[in-house]
Parts: sequence; structure tokens; C-alpha cells
Amino acid sequence: MRQNQIQSYLRKLERHLWLRGLADQNDLAEIESHLLEAMEQALDQGLTVEEAERQALERFGDLETIVSSFEKEKINLMQKMLLALAILTGVCIAFVDSRPTWDDTGITAGAMLLSSGLFTLLGYRRPWLIALAIGLWTPIYETYLSRHFAMPQVILFPLFILLIPLLGGYAGWVVHLGIRKTFYPV
Amino acid sequence: MLGEALKGHLDLLLLSILADRPAHGYAVIESLRNRSGGTFDLPEGTIYPALHRLERQGLLRSSWSEDSARRKRIYQLTAKGQQTLAKRQAEWQIFSNAVNATVGS
Repeated sequence: MRQNQIQSYLRKLERHLWLRGLADQNDLAEIESHLLEAMEQALDQGLTVEEAERQALERFGDLETIVSSFEKEKINLMQKMLLALAILTGVCIAFVDSRPTWDDTGITAGAMLLSSGLFTLLGYRRPWLIALAIGLWTPIYETYLSRHFAMPQVILFPLFILLIPLLGGYAGWVVHLGIRKTFYPV
Repeated sequence: MLGEALKGHLDLLLLSILADRPAHGYAVIESLRNRSGGTFDLPEGTIYPALHRLERQGLLRSSWSEDSARRKRIYQLTAKGQQTLAKRQAEWQIFSNAVNATVGS
């Protein structure tokens, strides 16, 4: 009961950070420690438990402010990591697709669709860039292996392939926005 | 306006406070408020992402202290942080002198 408002605030903060892929247990433990220390200091000054909790939370900042400050500071690192992972995924798909024993275009297309959707669902903000990172390697590698550099196929083929991760990327982003809007309308 | 101006110099302020001694976030905020005479009174929670970013940049390092009743994450300057602080203090000196000379102090 004693830490009701603070625990409630921490739970909301954790959920909001989690939805953005920014939740970290060490960060949350640090914030909890801060709020409890602020509360104890307020109690020492003669405030009631409720007043002390309220003051500690007011000074700490409202959820919207804190979440956006975490988002601003951490988002760049997360975006870079997601993009790097997307490139790695795209290269892996291209490698598997180029194997002589591999003859299942449907699985390759499905892997592109799902992986691009997953990256934007996790919060990558530019679906078109995820589509490029995942979908560009397969047509490039295939064109290189087949040595068919004739125009306009050399341009049209990658564009056609890119439609798949583009579709997945934007679908994932729409779902991501839907989740955010439903659970965290900040 | 003050809040916006503060954001632009938050790194310098945090590094300066931690140059004196290692401290946990709550102590850093209290120092910031006390040293500025209450002028720098930003939402306390907003300094944590900044501290974490400075740590990622290698300017700070943190460790958990179990000395007190509660676990605390203690931040301290790294060698790179000390170099960066010296550089930013010099830049700030030039900037503040130029502003003072322009607006009149």
C-alpha cells in the first residue's frame, strides 16, 4: 500500500517503454530507487505518504515527458541496430535463395514479407528502408549469378521483388501504430 | 525558453557535476538544482536517458552500489569523459564570452 502510486507509475512506465522496445530492467530499477529516495526525503520533511508520493512523481515528470525523453535518447541506437539486423536478414535470405538446391520461391517471398513486417512492428520507423535492406540483396545476387544484365530486366526485377518486403514493412508499421494507439495514446 | 536552453547544455552540466565525485542520479539532480540556485529545475526523470547516452558514448561508466539500504547506480567520469569535459568547458567559455560581449554584461 505504501508505494501504491509509485508502483502504479512504474508499471505504466514499463509498459510504455516496452511497447517502444525501450524497456530495460536496470533502468526501471534505477528509476524506482530514485522515486523511493525522493519519497523518503519528502516524508522526512513532514509530508504524508500520499503527499510524498505525489511530490516525488511530480518532480520526476509525467509519463509522456519521461517516455519521450527515453525515446529521443535511445531511439537512434535502436533504429541503427534494427537496420543492421535487417541487412543481415536480407543477406541471409539472398544466400539461402541462391543455393542450387533451393527451389522454393514462396518461402523466400514469405521470409521477406514476414521479416520486414517484424522489423517495422518492432518499431523501425522507415518501412521503405527496411524493404530495401531486406529485399535488395536477393535480386542483386541473383542477377550477378545469372549474368543477365540486360535492360530493363536488370531494373524491373529488383523493383518487382521489392514489392514483397515493402508490403510486409508497411503492414508491420500499420500494426505497430495500431498497438501504440490502442495501448498508449500519448 | 530556459528549459530549451538547458537541454542544449545538459551534457556539459552533467559531466561537470560528475567531475567532482561519482554520484547516483538523484544526487546529480540535487547538485544541478542546488548549484544553479534552483534555476535548473527540469523534470528529474529526463536526466536518466541523458546519463545513459553519455555512458553509451563512453564518457561515463556506471556501477551498482549496495552500500546503502537501497541499490543505487553510481556514475563516474571516464578518461574520455574528462577530456570531453575539458574541451566543452573551453568551448563554453568562448561562447559565453562572445554572448556577454554581444548582449552586454
